[in-house]
Amino acid sequence: MPPIEETPVYEVFAQHDALAFATHVGSLRAPSAKMALELAREAFFRRDPAFDVWVVPATQIVHARDFPITLPTAPEEKSYRLPSGYDNGPQWKRFKASEQKIEDVAQEMAQPVRRIPQ
Amino acid sequence: MNHPTHEQIVALKRLLIPMADDEWMMGHRGSEWLALAPDLEEDLALSSTSQDEMGHAKVLYDLLHDLGEPSADYHVYFRPANRWHHARVTALPKSSWAEWVVRRYFYEMFDQVRRSALERIPYPPLVGALKKMDREEAYHADHARSLMDILAHGGAESYGYLREAITDDWAYLADLFEWIGPDESWASWDVGELAPSAMRTRFESQVHQDFAIWGIYWPEGVPLATRKARHHDSSPDLPALLDDMREVRNQAAKAHW
Amino acid sequence: MKAVEEFLARVDAGEKIEVRDWMPDEYRDLLIKQIHMHAISEIMGAYPEKEWVAKAPTIQRKMALNAKIQDEIGHGQMLLRLAEDLSQPYHRGREALMDDVLEGRVKFHNVFHLEAPTWADAGVIGFLVDGGAIITQAMLLNSSYAPYARMLKRIVAEESFHMQHGESVVLALASGTDLQRTMLQEAINRWWPAMMFFFGPREMGPASQRMMMYRIRTMSNEELRQKFITRYAPRIRSLGISIPDEALRQDPRTGQWAYTDPDWDWFSHMVHHNTGPMSQARLGLRRQAQVDLRWFREASLRSAAYHASRGA
Repeated sequence: MPPIEETPVYEVFAQHDALAFATHVGSLRAPSAKMALELAREAFFRRDPAFDVWVVPATQIVHARDFPITLPTAPEEKSYRLPSGYDNGPQWKRFKASEQKIEDVAQEMAQPVRRIPQ
Repeated sequence: MNHPTHEQIVALKRLLIPMADDEWMMGHRGSEWLALAPDLEEDLALSSTSQDEMGHAKVLYDLLHDLGEPSADYHVYFRPANRWHHARVTALPKSSWAEWVVRRYFYEMFDQVRRSALERIPYPPLVGALKKMDREEAYHADHARSLMDILAHGGAESYGYLREAITDDWAYLADLFEWIGPDESWASWDVGELAPSAMRTRFESQVHQDFAIWGIYWPEGVPLATRKARHHDSSPDLPALLDDMREVRNQAAKAHW
Repeated sequence: MKAVEEFLARVDAGEKIEVRDWMPDEYRDLLIKQIHMHAISEIMGAYPEKEWVAKAPTIQRKMALNAKIQDEIGHGQMLLRLAEDLSQPYHRGREALMDDVLEGRVKFHNVFHLEAPTWADAGVIGFLVDGGAIITQAMLLNSSYAPYARMLKRIVAEESFHMQHGESVVLALASGTDLQRTMLQEAINRWWPAMMFFFGPREMGPASQRMMMYRIRTMSNEELRQKFITRYAPRIRSLGISIPDEALRQDPRTGQWAYTDPDWDWFSHMVHHNTGPMSQARLGLRRQAQVDLRWFREASLRSAAYHASRGA
């Protein structure tokens, strides 16, 4: 039998909730982008819902591994970009104040605000 | 209306048994297409649809159980053939792929009309059940349309299969719009949309519109049902279907499986 | 040659390979062979089980079995995508890889050539065949080919539902009437020898040995079979069901199981030439989807082109 044309491949990405970044979940064959979305629903989300789903024609994706020079690598010594190596803690202590961490700030912001009654 | 009257219960059953049976049969027949769809991706979509339909049937049988009917498993595995009330088109034996696409499409369009009418009945458990089905059913209808669109715009061969399948199924559509029992069963709710003629009109207008987009010849209105609609005392397909479906269960009806 | 040595050194060091990385032709070909066969086995596995969806004895079982078969088609789809990506240099896509099944160019697992004549077979397939597949797949989680290992992580997660489903059917039969227990015993009698063949010959063939070298797989056939017997033999016996192998016993010192060899030649001929009792019937079903309905796949493309040309 003569070969028939291949159905195009779409890569599928999903954002699991409103605050999540989209991640790759797989790929499928579909005749059109709309059909790819219809089919992705039952191919990849039978048990988990998604906040959003993207489908991208596989041929449209450019890979850094094909241009190795662009591939991000572990940086050489760039300690100046990192939060470690500071000695603010002991210094605050000298000023009789306490060291703070960013997690504490985030946590405090998550607490309900206590308003002083008028 | 949390506590329906006796008359209301009778009317509810007359509306819900046919719907549950339709959903069950579409799910059961749909399962026969497992691993036989034209591609793997479509197989997954198809299988979900069959599972959803059987799931909806189960929800409706459970609602009926709360209204004093026997259990869901009784309805499926032990009920006599003459007490099934699905429309015959839902239980037709497996035919061609094009016929299945067309059958699905007609059923989904009908089901949308029926659900939107039933939602007006102020019985909270039913309202809740229908709401849960809505998301899945909206997807079914959307996907059914996509498959029809492929048949319609897929070239001469597929268009030919489409025409053939429409001709085959058309004669069976009448039953969909009929309810069992006296015609007034729907009337006790004062929901005019449940009248067979009203449902048929809404269905026809939707399908007519789709057919125009797809360039399909409109074969006049859906035929009117006979008095035997949704009664299967001498239905040719049902006994074989029930025998097959119950083959294992009948080996030890009371056992735990 | 130096490139191959460097590649092997990377793999030996536990590095993972991606589809776009350079790889020796042999590595690519072994991966295609393995993943293609795995994918096709998932798909062909749907046929013996699907017969029982129509006849499943409760609503719950019917829906669960439907969902389980759907998962298997889904695994087939995901794995086939991997095989397709690897086959790009050969210009072979989904159509070619699917046609291979019908033309006997790719094998599928021996168990799916056999009959499944009762509901108990549907249960035992879930119990033993899925159990065996889970053991193999858990081993492949360490595969050097990253896309395969990633995919298997998802597949294994879904298999845990299959395992519970298969066990539940078997446990219900084992706790049931005499008829149900007899049905279960007969199904175990049918499937046990097939499961001994499932993991392959005691001495691995050259392709399997090369797969070990490339760390595509990390355990021998015999190691997998021993793990299977260790897990399943005591469980079957605890149900009061006997295993149809008088030679089956565990050496208390080494923990190794002695077992009767399956009819290697018969099974091997069956998987290579599709001569099992159900091989042709199941291939016939696959042909319905792949060949008889190819007009619909062509129609899908034509319809998409029609809409694209209208700017929709």
